[in-house]
Amino acid sequence: MKAIFEVINRMQSEEVIGRYAIGGAVGATFYLEPLATLDVGICVSLGSHPESSLVTLAPIYDYLTSRGYIADKEYLVIEGWPVQFLSPADALDEEAVKEAVETEVDGVRTWVITAEHLAAIALRTGRAKDFARILQFIESGVLDPGRFDSILRRHGLLEKLEHFEVKFLGDADQSG
Amino acid sequence: MSEWMRKVLESKRATRQRLQQLSFSEKLELLEKLRERSLLIAKSPLRQRRRPDQQNG
Repeated sequence: MKAIFEVINRMQSEEVIGRYAIGGAVGATFYLEPLATLDVGICVSLGSHPESSLVTLAPIYDYLTSRGYIADKEYLVIEGWPVQFLSPADALDEEAVKEAVETEVDGVRTWVITAEHLAAIALRTGRAKDFARILQFIESGVLDPGRFDSILRRHGLLEKLEHFEVKFLGDADQSG
Repeated sequence: MSEWMRKVLESKRATRQRLQQLSFSEKLELLEKLRERSLLIAKSPLRQRRRPDQQNG
């Protein structure tokens, strides 16, 4: 997987992309035990097209396909792994990329979304596997409660947390 | 909860903690192995869904 980050870092140094951060299960693996996944999710900051406000992933596709990497549905296959590039969908994603944690994979520099932002994004997304991941974050004790609360407050996700707590963290006696 | 089950849960918790404390590089190596296994399992004929007319009963 080191080779993937080398390719992405090269795109960054050649100014095809701006900041980036690893998200999804690979990002969560930075904080938790390894989580089985079939793809790599990368959140990237991109400039908008000069003639419109539309943000496009075309520069990434052009850069990689011109170097022999294959596009497959929503993925670009890099060193055998399907990699999904996502531009920030909202202020939460933008903040997640901006505040990502710097780390290294076998000497290659890279960035990972913070645990609190990953949990907040999972809460916003709200699929079954996202709720399972939030529970893993909580059980493992890696979330900073103050920081998590502040992110949720800033991005209007407190109500979703309340629903999550009622559904998944309710009193065990009530579960029947 | 039985003693046996308590030991199983404790062991599971300890393993998860041990894995959590590995370096990111080590975790990614394990993740690659997990993916290889998942792909192998997905390719297994046992996982291929049969058409209704192929099913017994």
